[in-house]
Amino acid sequence: MSEQALAQAAVAAPPRRRAAVPAGVMAAILWLGFMVSVALLADVIRPYGITAMDLRARLQPPVGFGGDWMHPLGTDELGRDVFSRLVESIRMSLLIAFGATIIAAVFGTTMGFLAAHFRGWVEQAVLMLIDFQASMPFLILALSVLAFFGNSLPLFICLMGLYGWERHARISRGLAIAANAQGYAAAVRQLGATPMRIYLKHVLPNIASTLIVAATLSFPEVVLLESGLSFLGLGVQPPMTSLGNMVGYGREYLTRAPWILLSPSVVIVLTTLSVSILGDWLRDRLDPTLT
Amino acid sequence: MLRFVATRLGRALLTITLVVTFAFIVLRLSGDPALIIMSPDAPPEALVAFRQAWGLDEPIWLQYFKYFTAILQGELGQSFRDGRPAIELVAERIPATLTLTLPALALKVGLGIPAGIYAALHRNSMTDRVVMTFAVAGFTVPSFVLGLLLVLVFAVQLGWLPSGGQDVWRNVILPVIAMGLGGAGVLARFTRSAMLEVLGQPYIRTASAKGVPWGLVVRGHALPNAAIPTVTVVGFMVGSLMAGAVVVESVFSWPGVGRLMVVAVANRDLAVVQCVLLLVSATMVTSNLIVDLLYGVLDPRLRGSAPAGGGH
Amino acid sequence: MSLLSLDGVSRVYSTRRGLFGRPMPVRAVDHISFSVAPGRTLGIVGESGCGKSTTGRVALGIERPSDGGVLFNGVPMPPPGTPAWRKMRARLQLVNQDPLGAMDRRLTVAAQVEEPLEIHGIGDRSERRDRVAALLRDVGLRADLAQRHPHELSGGQRQRAVLARALATDPALLVADEPVSALDVSIQAQVINMLTDLQEARGIAMLFISHDLKVVRQVSHEVAVMYLGRIVEQGDPEAIFADPLHPYSRALVSAIPVPGPRRIERVVLTGDPPNPADRPSGCAFHPRCPVAVAACAATVPDLREAADGRLVACHLVDAA
Repeated sequence: MSEQALAQAAVAAPPRRRAAVPAGVMAAILWLGFMVSVALLADVIRPYGITAMDLRARLQPPVGFGGDWMHPLGTDELGRDVFSRLVESIRMSLLIAFGATIIAAVFGTTMGFLAAHFRGWVEQAVLMLIDFQASMPFLILALSVLAFFGNSLPLFICLMGLYGWERHARISRGLAIAANAQGYAAAVRQLGATPMRIYLKHVLPNIASTLIVAATLSFPEVVLLESGLSFLGLGVQPPMTSLGNMVGYGREYLTRAPWILLSPSVVIVLTTLSVSILGDWLRDRLDPTLT
Repeated sequence: MLRFVATRLGRALLTITLVVTFAFIVLRLSGDPALIIMSPDAPPEALVAFRQAWGLDEPIWLQYFKYFTAILQGELGQSFRDGRPAIELVAERIPATLTLTLPALALKVGLGIPAGIYAALHRNSMTDRVVMTFAVAGFTVPSFVLGLLLVLVFAVQLGWLPSGGQDVWRNVILPVIAMGLGGAGVLARFTRSAMLEVLGQPYIRTASAKGVPWGLVVRGHALPNAAIPTVTVVGFMVGSLMAGAVVVESVFSWPGVGRLMVVAVANRDLAVVQCVLLLVSATMVTSNLIVDLLYGVLDPRLRGSAPAGGGH
Repeated sequence: MSLLSLDGVSRVYSTRRGLFGRPMPVRAVDHISFSVAPGRTLGIVGESGCGKSTTGRVALGIERPSDGGVLFNGVPMPPPGTPAWRKMRARLQLVNQDPLGAMDRRLTVAAQVEEPLEIHGIGDRSERRDRVAALLRDVGLRADLAQRHPHELSGGQRQRAVLARALATDPALLVADEPVSALDVSIQAQVINMLTDLQEARGIAMLFISHDLKVVRQVSHEVAVMYLGRIVEQGDPEAIFADPLHPYSRALVSAIPVPGPRRIERVVLTGDPPNPADRPSGCAFHPRCPVAVAACAATVPDLREAADGRLVACHLVDAA
């Protein structure tokens, strides 16, 4: 081979493989896209207000089971349109889940970076907090806080935001320490970069994919947690409505009007399923070492 | 070995201390503990006595100390609703909760682990896919939805099983399934990936190549090594024996600790909340401690300290 | 005036065996003094664990000495991590053994070579771009490699990229810690030649740390041999290689494979390799020294000037 060809061969970048997206993952992405658009367009889609009562049309079944298109998913005991409430609930639950996941990711990553950067007693304190959080069932902690502080939406979102931060903290601390010890972070520090620059411009982009996968693991768990608490009447309070809330209210009419709780239940299951599938796929693609 | 046990014990105690501290902080932040813990119409002398016992007029660190000793002595306050000591209320409900959570744990372990092992050994087969689909369904369906669905199908439509009450053993079936299936799914997934990871290790291939029968390879090498991370997850489940029932007990109106907690939170009956919190954390910490010690038994790498460094 | 000077520098690490073990001080560097003149190269050679990497880090100011001081351009080295220290990085740079680990795998080579210029605010965008192109030319990297990522380059190319980055701010001193040890022998020669060319062209001083005597010999104007944290011999490379005075240098030099008949008889060292956590008394080398006497176990020999101007730390070598 001529020298030029050799040189060119040596320099050519390795070809990138294009993996196909499996059907299940595609379906998951579509469902999630659908959910997000519903949440964003809630005000436009919703035919009725969530508290609009129509006492003449109470407990009407959905279309196909004896009802009509006025109320495609039926009505509840106060004549409120289930479809409208469902749309609004989707928005609320997704809002809480996204908000909480982002809070947990930001808080957790920051704590992890602080621990990795300062080491010493700061690290020990953070590790202790992580251990504490990881060893307590979050539901009980959440219930305690709700008992002591009462319930308002911002407080509730912050409380949900405390779920799963320890996962992000563990990951970011581990990866930051590894980066600091030998690799590019130490080299860039040697160039004279400030710590802020090192973490934001170098470490964070490199660990972003792992953090995203961790976030997809916590997201469905937050949805389940929030709906569980709302179901118990301790989460989202009326007049606001969330998916768990609706299931809670529908419970009394389980026998007479099961559609009230079935539609939010189906949405909960499909949404958590979709995020789980997506998360698994992302993990396989990006970072198989994450459990 | 002693050092190993001592550090684990130390960590357990530290965690409990942290939980008590957490409760203390949250309690102090939310108002006057005397008015909160004692019921609103407690006699003034009781309030004064309480304040004294908890040292509420004294510097904060002294309060913390007194709080701690009060907890250790079981002085956790009285419930709003019926004026009885919180500890009594909680303690008398423990058996009811255990009636649900212990069988549920058995279900999780008995169904989940074998399913996961089987799926791992027959990877990518139809059975594997089916098992995994059920497993995923198991943990994406929240327990309350599952519980309500079970009631709808089995109690209402089919009338096979009762939907409420707790006298007959048949009452236990639906709640236990509602609680156990989700955990079985989680455990199946976890066991499967732990097994797959172990099965992919070189020493498994070596053992098989040496001619050791596959069944023996699995039983002697794969399972014990996969057991280690699985034990952690099971330990966590054992630790949440108390907590896991919260939602399900509410669905089935089961008079256990979980339901008590929910009602207490709704009524802001903080003495009871505090008591349940401490009970749950004690259970969790104990379970984690046992798991840690089990690790020492299961994983020889963790036993004892490292041998001395410099050569002789 | 010397560019870099270390005076009586020691670096002691405190380690502990397990959570409850006794703290044991490990003296990685013990009272080292040397200086590097502008545009000249000091080679530090020794086996693993002798403290040469630590010396390099202390010289750069990455670690603080437990004893003694470091002066750069006559100014004491600021503590690591301070703004003054960061500013000084433009004048001092480090190249070490693992070029892949030293680079961010997500950024292109060009972006990384440009980074020191960004950090120290040198030039505007187009000036920086030009400077990066010039640097890549100087280190012999083709321009089209600039847009590649580190893992898409060969080992030698990566090390050149790291070097380009180190030279971006036109430093006065370059500390090279085993820069070619991970490269193929043929590439080693290329990189070494490039280093010496760059030194001539830019007048950079170098602290060249390696365990490979042949390489050190080629690039250094002066060589220091280290053993267990101390300099045992220091002086002109050719003199040391032709006629090593210290018994340890003798053993090292005799181990260099040479074609044809040996000039120096092969000395094989007996005894255990050195452990900085468990220093022998007196001269650190005496347990393995073939010509040790009683005094060697008793007192630590000073680094004294020998007949031809070299510095040697051995009781058995006559002072000048």
